[in-house]
Amino acid sequence: MDKALVTQILFYFFAAITVGSAAVVVFSRSLIYSAFALLFTFFGVASLYVFLGADFLAATQLVIYVGGILVLLLFGVMLTHKLYDLNLKTETFQFVPGLLIMLAVFLTLAGVIMNTSWPSRGERPMNPTTAEIGELFMKDYVLPFEIASVFLLIALIGAAMIVRRRDSQ
Amino acid sequence: MIPLTHYLIVSACLFSFGIMAVLTRKNAVNVLMGIELILNSANLNLVAFSKFSSANLNGQIFAVFVIIIAAAEAAVALAIVLSMYRIVKTVNLDQADTLKG
Amino acid sequence: MHPYLLRDLHLFYPEIAITVTLLLVVVADIVLARVRGKITFFLTALGLMVAFALTVPLFGAGERTLFFGMVALDPMAVFFKGFLILTSFLVLLAAPGSRELARSHLGEFYALLLGVTLGMLLLASSVDMLMLFLSLEMVSLTSYIMVGYLRDDRQSNEASLKYILFGAVSTGSMLYGITLLFGLTGTTKMAAIREVLASGVAAPNGMALLVSTALILAGFGFKTAAVPFHFWCPDVYTGAPTPVTAFLSVAPKAAGFATLIRFFFTGLSETTPGSTQWSAFPALNWSFLLLIVSIITMTLGNIAALRQDNMKRMLAYSSIAHAGYLLMGTVVLSSEGVQAVLIYLITYLFMNLGAFLVVIEIFNRTGSFDLKDYGGLYKRSPFLTIAMTIFLLSLMGIPPFAGFFGKLFVFGAAVNRNLAWFAVVGALNSVIAVYYYARVIKTMIMEPSADGRRIQLPWTSQALVWVMLLPTIGMMLVWDSIQKLTNESMKLFLGS
Repeated sequence: MDKALVTQILFYFFAAITVGSAAVVVFSRSLIYSAFALLFTFFGVASLYVFLGADFLAATQLVIYVGGILVLLLFGVMLTHKLYDLNLKTETFQFVPGLLIMLAVFLTLAGVIMNTSWPSRGERPMNPTTAEIGELFMKDYVLPFEIASVFLLIALIGAAMIVRRRDSQ
Repeated sequence: MIPLTHYLIVSACLFSFGIMAVLTRKNAVNVLMGIELILNSANLNLVAFSKFSSANLNGQIFAVFVIIIAAAEAAVALAIVLSMYRIVKTVNLDQADTLKG
Repeated sequence: MHPYLLRDLHLFYPEIAITVTLLLVVVADIVLARVRGKITFFLTALGLMVAFALTVPLFGAGERTLFFGMVALDPMAVFFKGFLILTSFLVLLAAPGSRELARSHLGEFYALLLGVTLGMLLLASSVDMLMLFLSLEMVSLTSYIMVGYLRDDRQSNEASLKYILFGAVSTGSMLYGITLLFGLTGTTKMAAIREVLASGVAAPNGMALLVSTALILAGFGFKTAAVPFHFWCPDVYTGAPTPVTAFLSVAPKAAGFATLIRFFFTGLSETTPGSTQWSAFPALNWSFLLLIVSIITMTLGNIAALRQDNMKRMLAYSSIAHAGYLLMGTVVLSSEGVQAVLIYLITYLFMNLGAFLVVIEIFNRTGSFDLKDYGGLYKRSPFLTIAMTIFLLSLMGIPPFAGFFGKLFVFGAAVNRNLAWFAVVGALNSVIAVYYYARVIKTMIMEPSADGRRIQLPWTSQALVWVMLLPTIGMMLVWDSIQKLTNESMKLFLGS
């Protein structure tokens, strides 16, 4: 089989994983299934990053999203239910109006995407990106980089303060 | 190769699903999952455009920052959810709604 | 090292001062044991004063972008820096005196206040979409935490939860819109976006531009509490500790307007050099869209406020309505309009903070935010009654108080762009607003009071109320300086 066909098949496979697991996240009745489906969605997105040649970003996505955010979400799921409530079912409200809005949003976006002539400035070749990203962080993006560290400090202080028990003041 | 629009449609799907989760889910952690879907869809857009529509890596750098912000936001959101749970013992959004007046 | 980096750092002193203070406050809060409440307070106050002092000389520093085109330094940015630091300082003074925050340890509060101020300074001067999003999230995230500061209070937690969920969706949608704009133009710098759009990309892609702008407006609408992104506002204002509510009603809103003006004027409008009028790109008439938003916002805000009996909720809807008037100044797309927004913000700062300050003081004594408990306030504290009356008259827009000038300029800017009907709508809305402001005055003066004890205010609270009162009353006296200041400040840096 030639390379283009294999690439296409692989792309559709990973895209299906991503979109399919996102559907499970949204429509599943069990909170745990949603959380684990989200894991697959993050993996799927990371694989799409690899398709786009963003190697550093794919690794970062896995480390932070799967390793950090998803674990946090699982903690959140587990800590906010009574221990004997093993079903962890969730309810929904206003399902049909929400579904209609979702379809409207998707159709609008799809219409815009297909009908817009996205300007092309040449396709980037598949080069490793880490070195260049590192350089950019220290040159063009030095201000957001430093501000992000202050931002994380404040988020850390704030989150810890909110959850801290009262007696340890 | 895979054209740009394929990636954009995938991200539009993720965005729509995220909006759906935010609109219809009652559990606060579920809504948070929807928000993460929205942020991921935007990130996918950024990386796809970075490859096809711009001659540099700016889109990818932007995506790194979005990941940073999403992590901080998830942490704070879960802290607030936990704090709320301690007081009212539920995170269902229709039961945690006494402020209407 | 890049040759301009050191120069840019020299122009960045206010932000550096705030960051240093933030770090010192965090360390002091951990290291010092008993007197840390007082020390962190004075440290924060000192830091903000130093930052303000460092901002003033920046006025004459010219117009340029800093740090590789991330933030701009122009008179408008300097104006907002000063404005936002001043607002944070005044809220800082009000915080320890409030009963709601009395039982909480305030060290983290001061750190968060410094953090949100830093975020707002960056937000008001961002000219790159990445920097805009980062600073917007910084402001928002810190605000979510500040709203939920009373960890044991159910209302505070609820407000915080609603705030973060609504806010995260709005900013997430805004991000998606930013990515679409990035796809169309290939760049994240606002000036470059304008150039690319003007060079022919805009016309065939009107639909994409519209969708991306609408999504970006989700974020701006959220920050400025404009319809239909205002739903969080009443609940959050009511549940948050009142000093935080007062802060939210002025500072992040002002920063939101600063960045809205910058984005739309720098990114999506065109003007001829030397002209004082802008026009939106023909492909995307965003000013018309915002005009509709402005009208709906002021009308909804005013009408909803009519039925409120909780002071904080009423002031929440009132601030939504004021966002509508501020949008009017933006929509008319002229330098006059921008100047009107700046004037309105100055007046709004003092009259709104003043009103909230009185609400805080009354809560300190009576434990209530309900309008009916304001009955007979005239006998209990004539000072508070008169002060509140003046603030409310100013909010109504009655001359000679400050609020009148704000409205005058905004309506005038609309008339001067042949949008007289728009000004009429605004004026009618002001008339509607008179009712709910007057209702408070009437209750304070004419209703009987349940509890007739005199209210004695500590001198610190009195002094703070006077600080808000003097500009509200005396705005006309310093009118020349205000005009000159805002005339200078409306200059935006449009280049790259």
